[in-house]
Amino acid sequence: MTTQVPPPQRRKFLFTMIGGLGALLAAASAWPVFRFLSPVAARGGGEQVAIPRSEVVSGKAHFFEYRGKPAVALQPDPGKFIALSAVCTHLGCVVAWKEQAGEFQCPCHGGRFSAEGQVLGGPPPKPLEPLAVVLDGDQLKIG
Amino acid sequence: MSRSICCLFILMIAAWWTMPAALLAADTVCIECHGGQEGRLGAPVAQWRTSIHAANGISCNDCHGGDPTDYAMAMSPERGFIGVPEYAAVPDFCGRCHVGVAEEYKAGAHGQAIDRGAAQCVVCHGNHAVQRASLDLINEKDCSRCHSYERAALIRMSLTETDTMINKVGHDLDRLYRLGFSVDEMQDRLFNQRNLFHRTFHGVNVDEVRQKNASVQGELGKINMEVAAIDSTLGERKLWGSVMIALFILTGVVFLLVRKAYEEDEQG
Amino acid sequence: MQPVKWLVEFVDVRLGLKDIYDSELRGYLLPRNVNVWYTLGAVLMALFTLQIITGILLLMFYVPDSEKAFASIQYIMNDVPFGWLFRMLHAIGANVIMIALLMHMLSVLFMASYKGRREFTWLTGFIILNLTMGLCLTGYLLPWSQLSFWATTVATDAAGAIPVVGDYLVEFLRGGPTVGNQTLGRFFALHVVGMPLVLLGLMGAHLFCVKRRGISNPPFGPDYRVAEELPFFEHEKHPNGIPFFPNYFVKDAAVICFFIAFLLAIIFYAPGMFFPESAFQRADPFLTPPHIKPEWYFLWAYQTLKIFPSEIIGLGIQGAFMTFLALLPFIDRGAERRPAKRPLFVTCYVLGILLFVAISIWGHYS
Ligand code: HEM
Ligand code: FES
Repeated sequence: MTTQVPPPQRRKFLFTMIGGLGALLAAASAWPVFRFLSPVAARGGGEQVAIPRSEVVSGKAHFFEYRGKPAVALQPDPGKFIALSAVCTHLGCVVAWKEQAGEFQCPCHGGRFSAEGQVLGGPPPKPLEPLAVVLDGDQLKIG
Repeated sequence: MSRSICCLFILMIAAWWTMPAALLAADTVCIECHGGQEGRLGAPVAQWRTSIHAANGISCNDCHGGDPTDYAMAMSPERGFIGVPEYAAVPDFCGRCHVGVAEEYKAGAHGQAIDRGAAQCVVCHGNHAVQRASLDLINEKDCSRCHSYERAALIRMSLTETDTMINKVGHDLDRLYRLGFSVDEMQDRLFNQRNLFHRTFHGVNVDEVRQKNASVQGELGKINMEVAAIDSTLGERKLWGSVMIALFILTGVVFLLVRKAYEEDEQG
Repeated sequence: MQPVKWLVEFVDVRLGLKDIYDSELRGYLLPRNVNVWYTLGAVLMALFTLQIITGILLLMFYVPDSEKAFASIQYIMNDVPFGWLFRMLHAIGANVIMIALLMHMLSVLFMASYKGRREFTWLTGFIILNLTMGLCLTGYLLPWSQLSFWATTVATDAAGAIPVVGDYLVEFLRGGPTVGNQTLGRFFALHVVGMPLVLLGLMGAHLFCVKRRGISNPPFGPDYRVAEELPFFEHEKHPNGIPFFPNYFVKDAAVICFFIAFLLAIIFYAPGMFFPESAFQRADPFLTPPHIKPEWYFLWAYQTLKIFPSEIIGLGIQGAFMTFLALLPFIDRGAERRPAKRPLFVTCYVLGILLFVAISIWGHYS
């Protein structure tokens, strides 16, 4: 029965079919690979982070992880707490707290930030991202 | 209560670790002497060999104390030899390992009336030839040796369903385990519920049994739900897998058809 | 389609790929009566590619440390999206490769394709077979399950039967007195880098031998002639043959599809087929589980070791058999390839396969 259609035409049709099936199979194989490689949800994603108030000492900086990224909490004046992302806004290095100078310095290209996260100098284009802080008893709730 | 479950758990693990000791058990001096004796002094050895204790490497001295490595001192009280416990001392004797069950038993009617000859452990479970416990131990013939069967029957009825459920969940977890799923956590929960269940009815109080039974069933139900969720994922995987298998076969067949078209050209 | 054409032109003008296509694919002619068994080489290449892809994916989460390996596999199976799929593809894929490898070897044996100055083709193939078994053996340890641990203990222990150096050899293989973290380290390195690299090289050499000498004529049909051997190198041509690409390649592709369907069918319908219970228990060096058996393709070796009263005789017989198989083209020198004209060979062939199956089954149930 197939002999009615000459082989070259039949092949053309069959190859089109294979093209379709192949695309389908390729997509169906790529999907698991894509899911396998997808990033894991950041630890504690979306949740608040609690830090004991006693950890955040006046004049010192307390580094912690917030939604998978480094963050820092300070007590610039007694009883006043701030929290900032510790990721430099220039190219993503983690800023270091310089206690004597009372400011953050970025070890990568010399960016400088105030204790409130404002740019004091160097290449960073914008301030460190501030995070919300609430004092709850002897706990600081961040986020 | 949860502490005693913990104890029990640790003991079970300890028992598990000493498994290979089942092989060594044959070598204790207890068995060397008593194994050759006749009657009352020798019979326990053969009975013990058939028991769940033997299967788990629990040997004479694990219950009766003494020193299983020293002929002279084997049965010396100095080495903790206990010998045959008094009738009323049996619950404490067994309860050294079966902590939770003993606790519940003593608080219950049987335990309270032990001095008046109420049933204790070995009355129902037997001693040296003890087998894995089953609900069949609660039966008209045995219970009516002392009292009417009515309430025992009620207890048994309410337990049967839970027993079946426990077995089913156990099988399900085993099946998933064999497919590579981590079921440790669920298995621990099942283990806990099974312990709770086993100790519960040793208090022999119908209302209490029913009440605790309901809570055990509730927990089992939760495990069941998790199993069902995994099963439905498995079903989904199988469905998509089947689609892929069909697609590959179809593609293969189309390739063969192309080959056939070429063959016609090659011959022509 | 204009841009595509332009791109093809752009590349071809610089690299002359069309020439290669014309001479090596379209112009690569196969004998007219080439049969389906000739697709197995392509199937093997496809399956190895799949093994490499899934292997690389598994490597992203696997941790080669005896404390963590088992947990990392559990993590892959339970927590990584589709981790179970890639793990199963890799583990069961290894078994399917062994099946395809045996089929390929048995078919070239039956058609005596190792004849006609194809000793190198056979030899490279034979080394590939052994290397693949090595890959299976080293890969088996990596999950650090009870099965892994004890199968490796038993397998390495067999080397102890060799006189004089045996004991030292066992420790050398393990990297210590018993299977442990050091064993895992060396098996891991060999499994993911060492052996695959060598295997790729050998596959290249194997293909080179096949193509350089020219694919053999299937020894069937009325037109088959025993080729005469000239005293110089000659490429065996099939002037009236069919183009490898696309004419025969579509058949390769069809059989590859069927093999993958078969692999998926095991994964989704009989996932437990190659996983005994001990594969799901973490390795415990102080507790040998009952019924430890090697994988099915090692059962014959395992059972021969047990049949003979002394292990050294068993090992000797295995060694002799493997040497015989490796040197077969040098031993079997006749030019005749038609099975119908080689009754002795075919009898040995069939009996050999039956013996292999019987010993394996015996090993499985003993
Ligand atoms: C990864 C493993 C292997 C790969 C990828 C492979 C690949 C191939 C390919 C592509 C061919 C040409 C087409 C065909 O006949 O299939 C071939 C031919 C051949 N292979 Fe293999 N092979 C492998 C293993 C083996 C083994 C284990 C042996 C024997 C011990 C072997 C012996 C031969 C022989 C003798 C031929 C020549 C067939 C002929 O010229 O007609 N190969 N192989
Ligand atoms: S990254 Fe911080 S200054 Fe460049």
